[in-house]
Amino acid sequence: MMQMISLESIRNCLEGLVPSGVATCGADGMPNVTLVSQTMYVDSHHIALSFQFFNKTRENILVNPIASVLMMDPDTAARYRLMVHYLRTETSGPLFERMRAKLAGIATHEGVEDVFKLKGADVYRVLNIEHVPGRELPSTQYGAPILPSMRRCIDSLGQYGSLDALVDKLLDSLDRYFDIRHSMFLMADVPENKLYTLCSRGYPTSGIGAEIPFGVGVIGVAARECVPIRILFAASEYQYTRAMHSEAIKQGLSSGLEAEIPFPGLTSPGSQMAVPIMSNGRLLAVLYVESPLPNQFGYDMEDALVALCAKMGESIQLLQLQAQQGYSTKTNPTAAQPCSNRAEGPSLKVKYFSRDHSLFLDEEYLIKGVAGAILWYLLNTIQKEGRCEFSNRELRLEGQLPLPDIADNLDARLLLLSRRLQERSDCLAIEKSGRGRFKLLLQRPLELVKD
Amino acid sequence: MSQNNAAQILDPQMVELLTSHISIHVASSTDQNQVSLVRGVGCRVNARHDRITILVPRSQAEPVLRSIAKNGRIAAVFNQPETYRTVQFKGVDAQVENATAEDIAALPAYLRSFSERLLKYGVKEIYVHTLCGCEADDMAAISFSPLAAYLQTPGAEAGCKLPLGRPLP
Repeated sequence: MMQMISLESIRNCLEGLVPSGVATCGADGMPNVTLVSQTMYVDSHHIALSFQFFNKTRENILVNPIASVLMMDPDTAARYRLMVHYLRTETSGPLFERMRAKLAGIATHEGVEDVFKLKGADVYRVLNIEHVPGRELPSTQYGAPILPSMRRCIDSLGQYGSLDALVDKLLDSLDRYFDIRHSMFLMADVPENKLYTLCSRGYPTSGIGAEIPFGVGVIGVAARECVPIRILFAASEYQYTRAMHSEAIKQGLSSGLEAEIPFPGLTSPGSQMAVPIMSNGRLLAVLYVESPLPNQFGYDMEDALVALCAKMGESIQLLQLQAQQGYSTKTNPTAAQPCSNRAEGPSLKVKYFSRDHSLFLDEEYLIKGVAGAILWYLLNTIQKEGRCEFSNRELRLEGQLPLPDIADNLDARLLLLSRRLQERSDCLAIEKSGRGRFKLLLQRPLELVKD
Repeated sequence: MSQNNAAQILDPQMVELLTSHISIHVASSTDQNQVSLVRGVGCRVNARHDRITILVPRSQAEPVLRSIAKNGRIAAVFNQPETYRTVQFKGVDAQVENATAEDIAALPAYLRSFSERLLKYGVKEIYVHTLCGCEADDMAAISFSPLAAYLQTPGAEAGCKLPLGRPLP
């Protein structure tokens, strides 16, 4: 028996690089043919076609759901004729957002942003795939095979021990094995509907601490919908993450949004992809990669990053569980040892605003939110008790800190704080002193000022 | 579609567009209302401007040609890639014919012009020649009298019926 060509093997045709033809048939038996801006791979048995206008195609599939799609491989010019069965139209949700983002890229690439607005994603079941005879070109897709690179990434992610090491290893591996030069790792702050940047590669400034609300840009949509978002061309609607970040602040999309730290990112990315990192259905973080060149991240790369992010999700979850176990262990959390730091020189003026927990070192902005509140607590403890070693458990028990009850992500907040201090201060630093413990190293006398 | 409609005379500007080496897709339907489609590799319009002939590779168009031979129903969409201007014609009297020597001789010009149109999208000439190339003995012609035309340029007017004999907006 002859096997049907698999949809996976022709996914390249479903990138929307060459418009597909779609034929339908009306109740009167008359054929109708049109071009569709975007066809998209949904899974091994389904595709989605962009629905942008009410037209005859729409009218026809509602009476006669069988259609024929002619698609071309953008690399080899191979032609495939699909017989498909219309199932439903999705007007919101993950599939719709994936298609909307991708279409925005195509629209900008072709200069028709105003016209190419997605009304819905029409989902079809693929009944048959016919490889249409004719001339074809040899494939030029001679890039490094994805699977060996993925295996190397997985190997390097096998030994981490801390969130700090894990996120660094991830971004370094992407650079080393996938040649992805621009990347960011953002932790989700679900109660606040936003993400904060924990780590980045390939930008003039790290942007650690910069925030983006759920639903804004490629990263925000991936977080809100918990679905990978991939754009093959510069997409004006999603393009300037940095500009969108400013716009979100201006429009008050997220009143508590970090406004002081500029968002990292290319000003004009040619290709973008954001992949949510989940664990047990819960959003933990988002991995974002981009390139100045168009058409850099295909379906296979998306699969690879989704698999890597699944591994990341498990690892982060494991670290959180270990942290929780440490929290519930009833050992003496903190041995009150005096600081061995030698605080010399002029005092470090630390100004704290309780309204948003923003904190300034010598009048220069450092951080706000949970991380700001933590640092304020640590500095006050140093001043009052003369000790500079702390435990995560102690912070969790401290009622004044604005940590959410569930999934507080304390490790991520401490990592954010630690990295901000590395970047912004030469007299304050966080240093791990054991499992679930750390020291705050202070080299100048303190002057604490509260609003 | 009523068969009483008389075939219309195409506007000269429309004829110019259709024969200006643009993207063509042709669809047909079986008596069981099953559709198929194929890419066209050229087009000509007769001197009276009331019959459109589309050239297709026979080996790729087999299901389309079979339905047309049976019931004559046809839909053809023409798209000018660089402007998005798109128009669809429908007919009920389509016939499959042999391509003429002129049709075969016209293919290189189609490939050259269509390649030039797609250059701005970064599409290489060899790609168009591969996609739309056709052996001389494989070329078939489908001719029909246009009974109705529909504007399909992306936008709010997409799908609207166009009065035949008028140019494309």
